[in-house]
Amino acid sequence: MSQPSSKRGSTFTVRAKSTCRRVLLLMACSIGPMVFGQQSSNTETAIRALEKEWTYAQGHNDNRALDLIFDNALVYVEYGRLVSKGEYLARIRGEIPSADEIVMDPITVRTFDNTAIVIGTYREKTLQRGQHEIKRWRFIDTWIYKKNGWVLVAAAATPLR
Amino acid sequence: MRTGLLAAFCLAALCCTAQVTQDSSAEQELLALERVAKLQACESKDLDTLDGILDDGFLYVDPSGKHYTKREFFTFVKSADSFQYVTEAMAVRLHGNTAIVTGVYQIRIVLHGQPSLERGRFVDTWLLKNGRWKGVASIDVSTQ
Repeated sequence: MSQPSSKRGSTFTVRAKSTCRRVLLLMACSIGPMVFGQQSSNTETAIRALEKEWTYAQGHNDNRALDLIFDNALVYVEYGRLVSKGEYLARIRGEIPSADEIVMDPITVRTFDNTAIVIGTYREKTLQRGQHEIKRWRFIDTWIYKKNGWVLVAAAATPLR
Repeated sequence: MRTGLLAAFCLAALCCTAQVTQDSSAEQELLALERVAKLQACESKDLDTLDGILDDGFLYVDPSGKHYTKREFFTFVKSADSFQYVTEAMAVRLHGNTAIVTGVYQIRIVLHGQPSLERGRFVDTWLLKNGRWKGVASIDVSTQ
């Protein structure tokens, strides 16, 4: 009695194991892209938040926040000039807070493992000789995930003509 | 003890030298790729070479702020009567498998019979994918 039972049990176990494997494989196949998709989505959310944080910190001359956002080897091209992190922070430090207003338009984030590329446009409202001027810019930012999180390593913007 | 320390020091120095050599070779490779892509492939409209250098997700922003996908950039290169892209003062910053190349450019282009000259700065992003550097993003900012 025990033998058939054992066999049934054994057959059941083999089938169950086989089914379990299939289910696990299917789950792995479906979870894999889900996990990747989730990671990619998390990255996108993080990068979008950092882009907002950067704009906010710049508008409030918050150099401490900017220091954390920018990599030490940051290269930034603004108004056609190549500036380092130190030069950029020095410029922000010397500006009147919120003298210029930056309004971000929708952005696109592309992720490649530990690198994210952001492309988008923004409107810059400046006060020139008592007159408000609005200029639109298109930019590309490059973010890299380093040991303490995402940092900006390159940024450049060109005016839309 | 001293021998152990000396061995550890030598090993660290060797690792350092190997890293410097590796970085230097990557820098040279990237500068060569920049020259091949911009100076040769764009000028001769060698889209096969460009295809091998640029990632399929490549994005380009021209000095007027117009953005292009890889396919749109190829169409633009093909449509130009002549396209000369000269670079100088290039610098490479390596961040593991990602590299940022900056430099100064001069573009002489004839589009539908109209010649134009642009000077500015560029920022290119490269990624090491399966052992090969691929251009993923490029922006040209006019200094005129």
